[in-house]
Amino acid sequence: MAERDARIDRLLLSQEITDFLYREAELLDERRYREWLDLLADDVRYWMPIRRNVKLGDDEGEFTRALSDINWFDEGKDTLSRRVKQIETGIHWAEEPRSRLSHLVTNVQVQGAEPSLAAPQDVSVTSRFLIYRNRVETETDILVGRREDQLRRNGAGWLLARRKIILDQNVLLSKNLTFFI
Amino acid sequence: MAMDDKRGYRSGLVDLRAGEVSREIFVNEHIYAEEQERIFARAWLHVGHESQIPKPGDYFVSSMGEESVILCRDRAGKIHVFLNSCRHRGMKVCRYDQGTTAVFTCPYHGWSYGTDGRLVGVPYFREAYHSRLDKEKWGLVEVAQMHNYKGSIWATWDPAAPGFTEYLGDFTRYLDLQLDGWDGREGQAEVLGGIQKWLVPCNWKFPAENFSGDTYHNISHRSVDLAGIGPSGAGRRDMGERDVSRKLHVCIPDRGHQTIHYVLPAGKSPPPAYLNAPIVAEYVRHCEEERRRLRGEEARLVGAPGEIFPNTALLSRQPRTMAVWHPRSPHQTECWRWFFVDRDAPTEVKHFLRDYYIRYSGPAGMTEQDDMENWNYAHAASRGTIARRYPYNYDQGSGTAVTNYEYQGLRVPGEVIDLTETQSSEQPMRNFYRRWAEFMEADDWSRLATWRGGERKAAE
Amino acid sequence: MSAINVRDLAPGTSIVLADGAEAEIVTNPGDGMWLFARYLSSPRDPTLVGQEEMIFAPDVVALGR
Ligand code: FES
Ligand SMILES: [Fe+2]
Repeated sequence: MAERDARIDRLLLSQEITDFLYREAELLDERRYREWLDLLADDVRYWMPIRRNVKLGDDEGEFTRALSDINWFDEGKDTLSRRVKQIETGIHWAEEPRSRLSHLVTNVQVQGAEPSLAAPQDVSVTSRFLIYRNRVETETDILVGRREDQLRRNGAGWLLARRKIILDQNVLLSKNLTFFI
Repeated sequence: MAMDDKRGYRSGLVDLRAGEVSREIFVNEHIYAEEQERIFARAWLHVGHESQIPKPGDYFVSSMGEESVILCRDRAGKIHVFLNSCRHRGMKVCRYDQGTTAVFTCPYHGWSYGTDGRLVGVPYFREAYHSRLDKEKWGLVEVAQMHNYKGSIWATWDPAAPGFTEYLGDFTRYLDLQLDGWDGREGQAEVLGGIQKWLVPCNWKFPAENFSGDTYHNISHRSVDLAGIGPSGAGRRDMGERDVSRKLHVCIPDRGHQTIHYVLPAGKSPPPAYLNAPIVAEYVRHCEEERRRLRGEEARLVGAPGEIFPNTALLSRQPRTMAVWHPRSPHQTECWRWFFVDRDAPTEVKHFLRDYYIRYSGPAGMTEQDDMENWNYAHAASRGTIARRYPYNYDQGSGTAVTNYEYQGLRVPGEVIDLTETQSSEQPMRNFYRRWAEFMEADDWSRLATWRGGERKAAE
Repeated sequence: MSAINVRDLAPGTSIVLADGAEAEIVTNPGDGMWLFARYLSSPRDPTLVGQEEMIFAPDVVALGR
């Protein structure tokens, strides 16, 4: 019986977290950036390392390090908010006219919950994303990769406390990263 | 466009007297092919920094023009730059970005090269080659000349090119600002881990001319100025030191190098900066004091965007980066950006600067994003048959440069325009394209080293 | 053709070569194609004993004792 309860707890949490990720993606794609910012913890860390081609075995060398190396992104809420502000000026030419975006989020897996699955306060979840970006006339980018998220309970909902974005590219094939992943 | 097929280049594309440059030089495939031969195979190009390969056997795969090259330190500690292509049948020998190795072994048939470039391993050397292959002759192709300038590594494929410091000419002091410590000590720069590499759909000369000193495009960055990413919480950088200085365009006419530049009044130290981070503010204040003590009058020089011909961009202050614009096709450029800090700076200072650099530069950089948008669509809108008939305009400030510029006792060599009142000029682009035309027209370095008294064939 | 992946063999390991010679790995560049090894014995050419040579992976037929 206890085992069955644990499985139900996991299922419910998994569904709740998946819903959160879908809603978050929808806010981004609907350009509701202010509402998206509200889903971020004040101490959120948003990190996207650069990936290197390294020899089998040199797993550490494959990713640039958070906080000390140069990355694609490695920032907190203040900078993320300023990015939103920049888009809202209407004169951020790299996003004006604005991009058309679809975030497809999939392979969602709850990796852990603290203190417990039944009463989770902090959840780690991994997922895969496929982002289609189209802008102006024919400009098109497709970005695919993995996200490793830490979510934190916030009343009835959740806040994103940490996101690591692992893009499956070496030389960035897009001219810019004016959007959130 | 009708091409002169003997030279592959038609003079008149760069008309400095009229301040006009043909769009053909950006979009024409024949001209692009000629550039690979006449510019990228002859000029000095930036390869990397020695702090990226500190130990024997360390390597970093870089690029020179279209070509992949290996920057490495051999077992004896000597630095080399090799073409990253197997002498047997061309396979890219090293497809890792960086690492440490004893040999570079070709994945195709197994030829193996030492870190000094020598061919050391040939499968079935005795049996199949009957020990007759001359291994000395078939080592990796090495650049004709390599130069380690204060830790930055430069190379050229042309044995006839002048030495690197001669190539720099009077531009040396601006590269010094990049590579010396902010406190004025020599060669204190260190590269932060992680080189940004990304593709932009434009000709390589768009970023090159922009970093030459496009003071006119400030307005394109208004959105980031409003969003405020500067290290004191506003704008995109601290403006204090710029606001009290003379703002100059400095061009080295014989060399094709040029930069924006600020000169502080005599006896004046830069106003406080980095107000959001007391530890950085204090570090910078201390450095400026030291720099004045070590360098005297020269400490009045304040760096800003500049370009070393043909494709290396400098920026020694906010944010402190170097970039190389690798041509990939007439219509595509691969940008590489290195980020610098003072080696001995406190860790907190390095981290603060790094945060600022990332939000400023590169594809996720809130400033540079808008540059790339402009380069992208300026290029795209210049490709049509009709569009190509109309040259670009570079006439701003024509005929106003002086060669004896001095400000409160500090002489600035080169062709200089003081922009403090006029705001802007296009002298740096004229200087860049004048040199570009010289490279495209000259058959060899005896004609390109115009400063040696050789025949001057400027496009004017 | 042996089934030994030489890429991860540690220095000091002894290897048996196709011609019956035996050698000890001095340096392994980790490229999976070459080993730097010193000859311990060589029936074909005894003068090789003690010498260091580059050994091509397919020539390694077995690990020594
Ligand atoms: S191409 Fe490199 S060994 Fe044949
Ligand atoms: Fe710019």
